[in-house]
Amino acid sequence: MNQFVLQQGKSPELRLFPHLLEVGIRKNGAIQLNTFSATKTEALRLYYIIDGKYEWRIDQQPYLFYPGDVAVVMPGISFGSDNGVLEIGSFTWIHLGIQQLENGHILPGKWSGLSENEGAAIGKILSLNSSPVCTGFTDAGKILKGIHAELFGHEIGYQARINHQVDELLIQVTRHMTKQSHPGRDFPKTFMRLEEVLRENLSHQWTVEEMAALVGMGTTLFTERVKSFSGFSPINYLINIRISEAIKLLKRPDISVTDIALDTGFYSSQHFSTTFKKLTGFQPSEFRKNHLRTK
Amino acid sequence: MKCVITIELGTNGIRVFAFDLQGRVIASMKGFYPTFHAEPDHSEQDPEQIFITTLYVLKNLLNEHIHPKKLKVYCICFSAAMHSLLAVDKNGNPLGNAITWSDNRAKQEALDLRASALGKKLYAATGTPIHPMSPLLKIAWIRSRDAERFKLTSKFLSIKSYIIHQLTGEYLMDYSIASATGLLNIHTVTWEADALKYAGITSAKLPGLAPVLATAGKLKKAYQQSLGLAADTKVLIGSSDGCLATLGDGVKEGNATITIEDSGAVRVMGPTVLQDDQMRFFNYLLTEGCYVSGGPTNNGGNIFDWFARQFGEFSNPFDIEHSMQQLIEEAAKVPAGSDGLLFLPYLLGERAPIWNANARGAYFGLHIKHERRHVVRATIEGILYEIYSIGRSLAEQRNIKSLSVNGSFGTLPFCTQMIADMFNRPVRLRQQSHSVSYGAWLLSATEMGLYPSLDVAARTVELPDVYKPDKKRHAVYADYFGIFEKLSHKLFDEFEAIGKLQQKHAVMEMPVKQKIKL
Repeated sequence: MNQFVLQQGKSPELRLFPHLLEVGIRKNGAIQLNTFSATKTEALRLYYIIDGKYEWRIDQQPYLFYPGDVAVVMPGISFGSDNGVLEIGSFTWIHLGIQQLENGHILPGKWSGLSENEGAAIGKILSLNSSPVCTGFTDAGKILKGIHAELFGHEIGYQARINHQVDELLIQVTRHMTKQSHPGRDFPKTFMRLEEVLRENLSHQWTVEEMAALVGMGTTLFTERVKSFSGFSPINYLINIRISEAIKLLKRPDISVTDIALDTGFYSSQHFSTTFKKLTGFQPSEFRKNHLRTK
Repeated sequence: MKCVITIELGTNGIRVFAFDLQGRVIASMKGFYPTFHAEPDHSEQDPEQIFITTLYVLKNLLNEHIHPKKLKVYCICFSAAMHSLLAVDKNGNPLGNAITWSDNRAKQEALDLRASALGKKLYAATGTPIHPMSPLLKIAWIRSRDAERFKLTSKFLSIKSYIIHQLTGEYLMDYSIASATGLLNIHTVTWEADALKYAGITSAKLPGLAPVLATAGKLKKAYQQSLGLAADTKVLIGSSDGCLATLGDGVKEGNATITIEDSGAVRVMGPTVLQDDQMRFFNYLLTEGCYVSGGPTNNGGNIFDWFARQFGEFSNPFDIEHSMQQLIEEAAKVPAGSDGLLFLPYLLGERAPIWNANARGAYFGLHIKHERRHVVRATIEGILYEIYSIGRSLAEQRNIKSLSVNGSFGTLPFCTQMIADMFNRPVRLRQQSHSVSYGAWLLSATEMGLYPSLDVAARTVELPDVYKPDKKRHAVYADYFGIFEKLSHKLFDEFEAIGKLQQKHAVMEMPVKQKIKL
């Protein structure tokens, strides 16, 4: 396919797809200056390398891209190359207008066939991921090619197909990212990374699906592995961390029991009290009286 | 009907077993707790999480297996990993996390003390090698590098002492755990004055000493209720994992026990300590006049784990057992001695018998005819040559006629047979049950009066499975071991040199701390 750039508001091809902000292919025959400077946009930007080798900066960090790699640029993150240099080669891209929540997560819009939970989980995993590079990910190139063909082909059902394929792209990028950071060899290491994320986000109402997706596993295999590794189901392990953190907070005088309950991820102070007493035999307030540091 | 519960506070988590009064396992459960490495050389665990995990697993076991059968819990007997240290304030609240045995922060203190006359004297008195693992050195580290914590500390506990204090309100430490602190005189069974002086504390900063059969007070009311246990349920202080694994395997005069989990050890038991000018062995106390002696290695099953993760096929994601099994099948196709390929397993430095933190791994003798499977077999052989090497140094002082093996790596049939062949001794092992827990059961049974003494209890242990040595394979291993042993000493200077270069050229690895907003 030849080079093209379609832009929302300018190109009639995108009229039915307000969430597609930009779609394009570029074939660059000679090194050019001042054409690819760093920019920040509100879109989720995906760039797939077809040919050549590119050195781009994402969020100030330099990364090298080879054919088959995908750059995943989150909304509000700067992306471009030093001095705006554009090296020889070709690549294709898509900019998705995506809802960004206050907590930094992203949500696909109404066009998406993803359920609210799945969409939120994908948005969270993309936001939590530390590496913006998917290496050796040729499937992404195929999906983008399919989107291009539908955009220009206008065959029956193309509107639905394009939205399906954008969903497909989001799902595959997410799966690829999690599998890449958890290559399936070292469960203890994977578990410890998950542990760390859980601890840092203890007040969040985690679901097993979210936890499993975060380490790139299906829920069934994940639950089985966690159980055989830790002796606990994923949710019970989480409760374990919650109570352990709550105990530490209860020993400090400056934070209320209700705040402790919410900070450690319980629905309410009632829920906290019941769980705490079931395990330790004490009400949180009793426990606090016995252990307060300033006693 | 009565039953006995044993709780092992291990390095990677807790194991709880219920036994009937014949020593048969009724049920068992485990619970993981993490080790944190906030800084290089630091290995810490959260005492609150260990406590909650203990309650959680204990409660589940009781509710699922004990209460429905209307069994009466006679006692709960504890065992724990050695060398942990936890500072608590005057209210018994932890000052920071517990520092585990694998923590290396006191390495400079250890080097200095090991080289001094005082170090030699303390080793002879306490039986604990002068090493960063020792709580003696950890306390010295806190005193000089964390003055605030040192000042606020009311007691220096072990993890087990903390858990028992939570459950009963008593500050106690059993002889075995105490003898691994580097602070206890194992001949007089009192805190050693010179060690206290070196650490800069008085004995008031340490918990009370108790024999391993002692009762550590009564369960607090709240826990009696939440766990559904009677007020007269005894909490037995118990011993250390090393001592109980030795007891649980019924070790007596003339035999030794080999434990290989992540790390490993070879141990003997007897009425005298092993003296050693080179400070190669530990001597820990089971009861007065009964010592568990031996040497620990850093490089056990964790080295094969490492190998499997790097080079194994992972046809099932995250299934390391499966990929290890495949590797062992490959290794089994290679003759003993790996056609002359040797592996030094010192990926984590080494304790016994060479006590060289700078030691590193190496493959030696590679030949163009060697294949992948030779490397696999050589890796396993190297790990076990190191165990054999500890065994040989013990044999200088003790006559070892037979062996027993426990621990997840050591009890792989392929490894057990190899141990029998290397040592040229019959090896016995226990299927299913876990030696540490069985040792805790023997201890509980002795406390109940089922056995007149631990010695008699140990004699009742039967280990049904026997692996017989093969003379031919032994001869091959013996030949290659000569070179293995020479290399582990000969490379001393090069180990140090490469260690220094590795440090010099190390790219500072940033701690994986992602700032995450939710």
